[in-house]
Formats: sequence, structure tokens, C-alpha cells
Amino acid sequence: MGKTLLDVSDLNIEFHDHQAPERVVRDFDLLMEEGEIVGLVGESGSGKSMSAMAIAGLLNRHEIEKTGKILFDGTDLLHCSREKLRSYQGSDISIVFQEPMTSLDPVQKIGRQVEESLKIHHPDLSEQERQNRMLKSLSDAGLPDPAGVAREYPFELSGGMRQRVMIAAAMIDDPRLLIADEPTTALDVLIQEQIIELLRRINRERGTAVLFISHDLSLVNRLCSRVLVMHHGKVIETGRSSEVFQNPNRDYTKKLIASIPRVNLQRPRDNDRDVHPEVSPAPTGKNALSVKDLSVFYTSRGKGFFGRTQKTEVVHHVSLDVGEGEILALVGASGSGKSTLARAVAGLNPLHTGTIELPDGRPQMVFQDPYNSLNPAYTIRWLLEEPLRLAGVNDEKERKKRVDEMMELVHLDKTLGDRYPSQLSGGQRQRVCIGSALMQKPKLLIADEPVSALDVTIQVEILSLLKRLQRELGLAVLFISHDLRTVWQLCDRVAIMKDGLIVDQGDVDEIYLHSQSEYTKQLLQAACIVRREEQ
Amino acid sequence: MFRFSFHAKDGKKNSYLTAGTVITILVLALILLGIVHAPYDTEAMNTSEKFAGFSLLHILGTDNFGRDVFSRVIVGAFTTLKIAAGTVAIGLLGGLVIGAAAGYFGGAADAVLMRINDTLFAFPSVLLALVIVSLFGSGTYNVIWALGIAFIPSFARMVRSEFLRYRESDFIAGARLQGAGSMRIMAVHIFPNTLPVLLSSVLIGFNNAVLAEAGLSYLGIGVQPPEPSLGRMLSEAQSYLMTAPLYAFGPGVMIILMVLGFSLLGEGVSKRVNG
Repeated sequence: MGKTLLDVSDLNIEFHDHQAPERVVRDFDLLMEEGEIVGLVGESGSGKSMSAMAIAGLLNRHEIEKTGKILFDGTDLLHCSREKLRSYQGSDISIVFQEPMTSLDPVQKIGRQVEESLKIHHPDLSEQERQNRMLKSLSDAGLPDPAGVAREYPFELSGGMRQRVMIAAAMIDDPRLLIADEPTTALDVLIQEQIIELLRRINRERGTAVLFISHDLSLVNRLCSRVLVMHHGKVIETGRSSEVFQNPNRDYTKKLIASIPRVNLQRPRDNDRDVHPEVSPAPTGKNALSVKDLSVFYTSRGKGFFGRTQKTEVVHHVSLDVGEGEILALVGASGSGKSTLARAVAGLNPLHTGTIELPDGRPQMVFQDPYNSLNPAYTIRWLLEEPLRLAGVNDEKERKKRVDEMMELVHLDKTLGDRYPSQLSGGQRQRVCIGSALMQKPKLLIADEPVSALDVTIQVEILSLLKRLQRELGLAVLFISHDLRTVWQLCDRVAIMKDGLIVDQGDVDEIYLHSQSEYTKQLLQAACIVRREEQ
Repeated sequence: MFRFSFHAKDGKKNSYLTAGTVITILVLALILLGIVHAPYDTEAMNTSEKFAGFSLLHILGTDNFGRDVFSRVIVGAFTTLKIAAGTVAIGLLGGLVIGAAAGYFGGAADAVLMRINDTLFAFPSVLLALVIVSLFGSGTYNVIWALGIAFIPSFARMVRSEFLRYRESDFIAGARLQGAGSMRIMAVHIFPNTLPVLLSSVLIGFNNAVLAEAGLSYLGIGVQPPEPSLGRMLSEAQSYLMTAPLYAFGPGVMIILMVLGFSLLGEGVSKRVNG
């Protein structure tokens, strides 16, 4: 047993800014030793971030009532003076947030932001010393050209680099506790892997304890020695990661673990496909979509009043087919052009060359963000009826009947019909989006990351809905994703995109087991899918 | 969507909305009294009662012709209200058409419409109205047209930014995929979403229109005598400010009440919409 670093007991957090007080964290207990990595897992609204913010001393609004004890190295952070608390913040306790875009000040150079906490905690340091430590911290965080990066502004860096900058700023004064609040959620899988490796290295080399907050259990399992599972503001299960993962005690933990798509390349894929074990309908040999030599452009206006518009090619000479009743996955990192390709296929971007053949007419689309893809001004029933109105179904009774059928098909409760989108949960909204897309009975559905904005347990439901609809309606789906595990469970074939090109394409089994493409291998590795020959 | 309530989004009391509603209802009640039954004929002169002070017979006194100021204020407020409502209606309709087309179609349509708009915008609206009135003559309806046209640019600007904001959203892309045409997307899919913002800018526009009418009438080119209007009365009262200072009180307070009521209402609505 090491020395106790952090001892939180009976922490309760209550919000008082609404009429009825709302308790977001109940009886939270946490014991952390020096140099330990602890994972805090839960879905959105489970209270995990609130607990972390309280530990970091960042919940100071007076509408928030906190009771209990947060002992850091023997000092109660909840009941000490503000000055005392401030002497710990940024020095002994640091925090890294989810969104590297918004947690850096856009108008300050990187260097100044990184050395900020040194200025506060060590005002006696000379300019030169501060500069040296700042550069060292940047290079420790794995940034290749620290001096160059220090002179840049946040917008000049990529998401991964920004997150490294955040970590550099958090680590500059050698904290004993680093709180990482979903530090990789906004990043691509390959970058995500690098950040996890960086956290692991910091922990190993400097002995910094890490409190790692995430909704991604497989990530927590790989990084953390101990884990706490939170649900509705309570810690419902705690223990060594390996034990919790192999023998979860609570139903909720079991559900969470079950929602991680399983990928086992050593056995037939259908064993892993509990999303829906049934195989896809037999291929008809006809294509629902065939794309040949497609290049897609974006225009951007040049500078100045008379600036010429400039065309940028985002997708380069791509060819792909989606067979009738087939699910084709289009996989790639953000910026690889997969969404651009999808929008061009849907007919939302007319700036393209090459051919897009859609023998069965217009495809419909389901978007990533269910909070932006339903018109907030109308009720659910109106939204579902609109596609029928547009298709010329003028009989009100007929429309009502077909909406009722669709709501049943996508498992939406009838009572939700009179609600507005803002009154629905993310999962319910995505069901409405899917229902609305299917009202005109398209033969091809384009789903652009349809689950990545949802909680893991909801993801499973939406994916199984998609699979069922594909089977029952003989629907072809172009499924855009960055998640190779989901693709393994859901899709028949896969195309992998990088920098606007399709670098690899084939049957899912074939690609996962035998692909020779370096990029595909990297992606599989980042998703922790290991082939036999590599084990 | 906007649902009326005296509470702000966070559940706290929205005192702007409450105060604005109370004052506006008071003003509207007075105007209604003027329409139904003003205590005196607004044009009946009585030279023996010139500049009578406040009394139970004439609660706001009388003017230079011995006419009852209170009656003229509540009837004049109706004239002002009509002009303001007409102004806002014209400005809003014109602004909706121009702003929606510019914001939704973008490109060349946007560039041309908005440059014209900017040119109009560069003139103060009262100055623009002055030009129009001097071209077409004064009188209540010409004032409505003049102010209405002068108000188009600010509405167009606001509507354009709203349409621009929604044009690229996923639900509009979805509607387009389902075969909705441009007119339907603009009128049915985008327009209802702009209502909350439109509502608060209508109230602010209303305010400006009240002040602009008062200004034009004050300059003598708005409503023509003997028809009472608040600006006209204020301008007449100015000539007697030294000898009969109480004359200015009635119309002045009425303008303040109207503007205050509507601006509090506008503030309250935007607080409710934006949280």
C-alpha cells in the first residue's frame, strides 16, 4: 500500500438553482494512493464530471451545496480557505478537459497559456527559467517542435496537438494528481491512442496519480488499475478494473460492459453480432448505389470584397458500390472526407465530378447530431407526417395511419407524438430521425455517424434498430463511422477512407482478418482488435 | 418554441416581461377609452379655458385652444399606435421577403440585396422618411409608408441572419432530401423558428416607430392638424413651454409610457427566448 493522496468521503453535491433541489452526486467515496490511476466511468448525467470538478475545487457557485470531505494530502479542500484551495489548484492538482478547442484561450499564444500556472504559483521564477520549463513541458507532452508551438495560437494546431498542449499546461508544475475529464472523447481513434499512451508515460515516469473520467469502458480497462462505476449520481460498483470487467456484480455494470461491441477475430463473426445475429438478406446482385470516379469539391470565398471563389477537392476519384439490402461501412478519421462523400451521394453537394447512380431513387439520410436534425418548431407527429405531405399523400387519415405504423416500427411510444423534439432524449430523437427518413420508403439509407453522439447503452439500441430495419425492409445502408468495433458487428462490407481516398475496401471479415493495408492495420490496432499473426 | 410565461428560462421571475405587460395594458386601455368614448371632443375649442391647469374637469389641463389635453392624448396615442403598427407591418413584410431571399439563396442574390440594404441602412431612418414624405407629401398614410420603407433594412438584416443560420442545419438538409422545395423550406421549415427573434425585434421596431412618428410630427411633416398625435402635441407645447409648461406633460408622459412598455416587453421576450 502506498501513501494516501486523496480521500473523498460522503461527498454530496446538490444544485439549488431550480425550484426543487437536485442532488447530482450522492455519498461519493474515493480513496486514491500516490501514483495510482483510477477510472471513473458512467454515462452522461451520472455525476462523474461533477465529482471531479468538486475535487478540483471548481464548483464554487453558491447555488451548489457540497457536503462531505475531500482530503487531499490531509487538507480538507471543501472546507479550507479560498487562498489555500488556490495554492493547490494548478500546482498539486491539475485538470484536463474534454474539449481542447474550447479549453484554450483563442487569443493567447500557446507558450503564455502553458506557463500561466508557474506565474501564479512561482512568481519568483525568472523569465528564462519559466521559458525553459514551459518548453520542457511541451516537449514532455510529445510535441515535436516546442519552441515553434509556443509561438502559435490554438487555432493553428490540430485537436490532438491541442490536447497535448492542455496536458503540458496541466503538468508544468509537476502536480501530484491529474484529473483527466474525457480527454480523448473529441479525438480520432489513432490520436486517442497516443494521448492514452502519453498519460500512461506521465504516470510511470513522474509518479503522477491520474483520475481518468470516461464513458468508454474499454479505454478505462486498458489504462486504469482501479475503477468506479457511477450511475444516477451514485457509485454503484468499485474494484480492480480487471475484476470489475470480468465479474461485474451490478446489472448496470453488466449492461455497460455488454454495450462494448465485442470483436473476436478467432471465431465466426456472427458470434459477436449480438446486435442481431441474423445474417443480412441474400444479395440480389443489383446495386442500390454505384459511385464511379467521384471527386467532390468545396468552395471557399477568397479574401476581400472581390475575392474569387476557390474550389478545393476534398474527395479524390472514389469508386464504390452498395448492393441492395447490404450495409456498407465507410470508415475514416475526421477530415478524411467520408461525410463529404456521403452528402454528395445524398445530393446535398452538387459540386462533384464523376457519376453517382441511384437506380431506386433518392436516398434518405440520418445525421450524427440528433439535437440538430429535427426541426424544433414542430411536434414529432408533424415531423413524421411531413415526408408524406411532401410525397403528395394528401389524405390526413392515411398519413396518420402510416405515422402510427412507423412509430411502432421504430419503437416510439405513441404518446411522444405530441411532444416537441426538445422534450425527447437523444435516443428517442434518433429514432424519430430514422423514422422520418424511412417514411418515403427509400431503398438506400445514408447514416452519418448515427450513434456517436449517444450514450453507449443507447448506441446498442439504435444499432440493433438499424439492423432490424435493414433485414425487415431489405434496406441498403451506407453506414459512416469511425468505430471499427461497431462496423464489425453491423456491416457486411467496409471501405476505409484516408485523406479523401479509399485506401482499402472489401468484406468485413476479409479486411479485418487479412488486409495488407498499413492504415487499416493501424486503425485495427488502435481499436484493440488484434489478429492472430500479431498476437 | 416560444411559450408565454412570466418566468425566464431558468425559472426565475422575469420582471421585465411583467412590468412591460402591465404598462402596455395600461396604455392600450387608455387608447381603447379614446376610441370608445373620449371625455371631450378633441377638436372642440373653448377659448375661455385656454391653458387651464390640472383639474377634475380636465385632468391634464387644456391646450392653447382650450381643448382637453387628456382626450387629445388618448386619441392622439391611437393615431401614433396606428402609424407605428403600419410602419412595423410594412418594415416586417419587406424585411421578411428581402432577408429570407438573401439569407436562404445566398450568393449573388445575397450580395445584391444586402448592398442595397446597406445603402438604405446608411441613412438614419427618420432622414429617409423625411425624403419620402417630401417627395409624396405629408399625411398619416404617407407617414406610414415613409417610415415603413425606412424600417425595412433593419428587419431584413435580422431575418437574413436567422435564415442563414438555419439554412445549413441538418433538419433543413433532411427536408430537402425528402423533396421540399425552396418556398416550402423557407415558409414552413425555417420561418417558424425565427418567430421568437422576430417577436422581440417587432417590439423594438414598434418602439422606434413611435419615436419616429413623434419626431416627424414634431417637425411638422407628419400627422396634420387638427388630427391629434403625440408628436404634434409635443411640438405645439414647445411653443408655450415658458408660459404653460404643464401642456407638454400629458403627451410627454404618454410617449414615455408607450415606449417604456414596449421596450420592457421586448427585453422580457428576448430574455425569455435567449435565457
